[in-house]
Amino acid sequence: MKNRALIFDIRRFSMHDGAGIRTTIFFKGCPLHCIWCQNPEGIEKNARLVHFPAKCILCNYCIKLKDNAVTMENNKIIIDTSKVIDAAEYEYICPSGALRMDSKYYSSDELMTIVKKDMPFFKYGGGVTLSGGEPFFQADFIIKFLEKLQLAGIYTAVETSFFAVWEKIEQALPFIDTLFVDFKIYDNGKHKKYTNMDNILIKNNIKKVLQSKYSNKVIIRTPLIPKYTATKENLSLIAETLAKWNKNVNYELLNYNPLARAKYQHVAYDYCFVEDKPLYTQAEMNSFYSIIKEAGIKNFR
Amino acid sequence: MESLSRQKRINLLKERMLRQKRYMSIEQALITTRIYQENEEKPVIIKRALALKAALQEMEIAIEPEELIVGNRTKGVRYGVVSPESGGLWIDKELETLPTRSQDKFNVKGADIKTYREVIKPYWQGKSLEDILKDKFGEEFSAISKVAKINQTDHSQGHICPDCDLWLQMGPEQIKQQAQQKLQSENLTNKQQNFYKAIIITMDGAQIFMHRYSELLKQMAAENTQYKKNLLEMADICGFIANNAPESFHQAVQSLWFLFVILQMESNASSFSPGRMDRYLYLFYKRDIDKGSLDKEKALTIIECLWLKFNQIVYMRNTNSAKYFAGFPIGFNIAIGGLDENGNAAENDLSYMFLQAQEDLGLPQPNLSVRLNKNTSQNLLEKSIAVVAKGSGMPQFFNDEAVVDTMIESLQIAPKDALDYAIVGCVELTTQGNNLGWSDAAMFNLNKALELAMNHGKCLLTGRQMGLDIGGLDTYDSFEELENAFAGQIDYFMGKMIKACAEVEQGHMDLLPSPFLSAVIDDCMEKGLDVTAGGAHYNLSGIQIIQAANIADSMAVLYQLIYKEKRITGTEMLTALQKNFQGYPVIKAMVENKVAKYGNDVKWVDNIAVKWAQYFREKLTHYKNHRGGLYHTGMYTVSAHVPMGENVGATPDGRLAEQPLADGGMSPVYGRDAAGPTAVLQSVGRLDNNLTSNGGLLNMKFLPEFFATEQGIKKFAMFLRTFVDLKIPHIQFNVLHKEDLQEAKKNPEKYRSLTVRVAGYTAYFTELDGKLQDEIIARTQYDAV
Ligand code: SF4
Repeated sequence: MKNRALIFDIRRFSMHDGAGIRTTIFFKGCPLHCIWCQNPEGIEKNARLVHFPAKCILCNYCIKLKDNAVTMENNKIIIDTSKVIDAAEYEYICPSGALRMDSKYYSSDELMTIVKKDMPFFKYGGGVTLSGGEPFFQADFIIKFLEKLQLAGIYTAVETSFFAVWEKIEQALPFIDTLFVDFKIYDNGKHKKYTNMDNILIKNNIKKVLQSKYSNKVIIRTPLIPKYTATKENLSLIAETLAKWNKNVNYELLNYNPLARAKYQHVAYDYCFVEDKPLYTQAEMNSFYSIIKEAGIKNFR
Repeated sequence: MESLSRQKRINLLKERMLRQKRYMSIEQALITTRIYQENEEKPVIIKRALALKAALQEMEIAIEPEELIVGNRTKGVRYGVVSPESGGLWIDKELETLPTRSQDKFNVKGADIKTYREVIKPYWQGKSLEDILKDKFGEEFSAISKVAKINQTDHSQGHICPDCDLWLQMGPEQIKQQAQQKLQSENLTNKQQNFYKAIIITMDGAQIFMHRYSELLKQMAAENTQYKKNLLEMADICGFIANNAPESFHQAVQSLWFLFVILQMESNASSFSPGRMDRYLYLFYKRDIDKGSLDKEKALTIIECLWLKFNQIVYMRNTNSAKYFAGFPIGFNIAIGGLDENGNAAENDLSYMFLQAQEDLGLPQPNLSVRLNKNTSQNLLEKSIAVVAKGSGMPQFFNDEAVVDTMIESLQIAPKDALDYAIVGCVELTTQGNNLGWSDAAMFNLNKALELAMNHGKCLLTGRQMGLDIGGLDTYDSFEELENAFAGQIDYFMGKMIKACAEVEQGHMDLLPSPFLSAVIDDCMEKGLDVTAGGAHYNLSGIQIIQAANIADSMAVLYQLIYKEKRITGTEMLTALQKNFQGYPVIKAMVENKVAKYGNDVKWVDNIAVKWAQYFREKLTHYKNHRGGLYHTGMYTVSAHVPMGENVGATPDGRLAEQPLADGGMSPVYGRDAAGPTAVLQSVGRLDNNLTSNGGLLNMKFLPEFFATEQGIKKFAMFLRTFVDLKIPHIQFNVLHKEDLQEAKKNPEKYRSLTVRVAGYTAYFTELDGKLQDEIIARTQYDAV
């Protein structure tokens, strides 16, 4: 599916992923697996048929299809993904929308049609954000798509883990207006432990982009995850390193998102917190910001 | 006492006002009854004028010593006034339940019940508007009421924007003199003579009323050392404006308030709108500021005192009507910003002060509206949003780019009047000072008409034959057949509705001429013709289309599932509807999940709403109203989507029997707008603006977080800029937490001043019926994602 991309969500009126009123496209598949992942449905790289029990009316329509991929036991629907022949048929036949594909393939033209619906809003400063998953996981697609967006006069933003080949990043950079890059954990051992990948590639890419002519449109972000990333040690190491690479670096701390846990009931992964942690208060956020300020960051948001 | 700060003065007055209990009042009813009895032989218009004058002379009055704007129509604030000449029947039936009914309660004194039944009721029986219409046309009206609900059958019309500018330039004395001059003209008919005489009588009354306040203020000053200066100043103002046109800003505002009090005393009706107050008061303001006789703080204090006054008159409706218009909206609608006579964006200090007053007070009245256009300043836009963010639901926004051209093109309104449009009541569009818009003539429930088209003309709830039997879902072979039957039911009820509207208008002409109001509506004086008889320059009638969102969703389901994909048969659907989906979970699930819904930027579905609203509007253009003016349409319901829904059985969109219809008028059904606010705007933008020339209502709820930062307010401004570009006539926002509302429902005393937008107006949340409270809690809330 080279000229199509697997997308697990498209959200119009997205307010927190860049300037103005935006449409955010979520690309499926991510090489990392952070234990606090906020969009766990975006990790897996394939499209899957999923079942939402809350919507199911137990009508049995699905278990009558010929491939026998779906069965019911004690009023519970079980899907054997390997047997599914035509997932679309399941979607069609299920009257309640309980059976659904968790993602869909789109051509770039199809995506353009969707994002262009909100052109009247973008006119005043919004645009399109590519997020995920990891958008660079489908790098060839996004490079072409970003170019199309820019040609259409749409302001573009990308949110990435930067676990990607530098050449691809380099090809995309001219078409990106704002690039949000996560720098989650400084220590490589811990990074590997909590995100499933080591951070050498990520650090190298961050260093390269901060020392490139594109540095001023880059914003580095650390999501504040209690215990894992939101420690004084981690934040000051990241901040010092960033400041060393580029003293004018833009750096932003993202408050913890307490709503992620609800999403885990539809995926095979476990969430890192049993209980929901509360959001950091303004005072706590301020003290995090003073850590990075001390470490030499001038431009923080 | 000069040391009383604005905040202190306003808070003190506000607290005192909110503490007062609401009572039903028959004081004016007794006066009116007596005057009618004493003048049996005189023409109605003279009796009406004399009754108003007597009330202005005799009604008890009261003043708070800290007030900078004085006057009310009863001694107590927020009293429910009984007007037996318009409606008597319902009051008699509800005297005992007024204090306990679920919506808009009023206390009733035991003695008043007795007096009402012994003195007032016997005289008016068979004579009031309500009685007469009921006796003559009761059956006719009730036969169509589930489809076409006829309004204005038991109270005066209201819903009008007087010529405030004229009032301020002339004052009662000059208006009286003008009427006296007119009376000298030759060849006047009897009717014209009486009309001018009636104006003279009411203006006399108005002057007496103002002098009485002046006298009372002087008396109070003699006894009150603390506020002596204040009281004497107010006494001077009231005395001056009784005999002269106002000169200072303070005089002008006081004079304006008297105008509205007296209009209310004459008509006791909802929705007399001050209109573009930032425009016509500005000259007074500017002159005083330039002279140095007024500073901004004093001006704001005067404005806030007026704002309090707007909350002291409430409108007592019968129980059924209170369901449709909950929270006794009185509809003092003020429009700020907009365009000047040359089409340039207009704003001034007063526009901002009005917003400030709204922010400071957070009360339901006035109903503050901001007119937006392509050139509205970023400043005014952001300030307005910041006030919305405070959570009182105000201001609401109107769109000049949508309204002005539509008025010119589809209502034949002169460009200068269209540029100067204002709003009456909730969202009804009007020209200023020259238009009896009769904007709330009737509500037409398209969903009931569709029900009858699906079920052989029979009501799904009662089985009664209501409409024509053109067929049913079990007999139509194609979608076109269904559409034709739907059109047939609409045509059938429209004819009957038009006839009923004419009968109501005739009733108003015969029984409720309004000389005082006519004196401030352009062309009445010239023609010598009362406003109810067609004296105004423009004479429109507005019918509300109820509710296009449900029609679009229902028709989309019928088209796709029965006729296109053939997943269910017409007979299955009809049975499911008859059974209220009981035992039909698959069909229910399919209609809810398998078909796109209005409000999600899905063209073919949105266009169904447009198609049927246009069908209705086009048919209406074949008729003229009783005053010779045009019929047109609005898409707003206030709170009527709840009782209107109670009349409708299950609908193909999955809505269960008797459940509310979509709220607003242009808004999608709650919870079905899954694609978010930008998609809602795109969908609503597909409705042509001639459909809402009488007013449209788009209601959106946002969580407060959305506005919490300056960034949020800026993004919101972008949203509204696009709203302007998309030429959508109206939008309003509720900014609320669900928890706030649940808490308020549980502990009303803690939330006495919490206001919500019910629809086109704001009401005290704790004063709404429990069902409506739940409904508001359940409405869609957008979170920023
Ligand atoms: S078809 Fe859908 S609603 Fe019916 S049992 Fe299967 S999953 Fe549940």
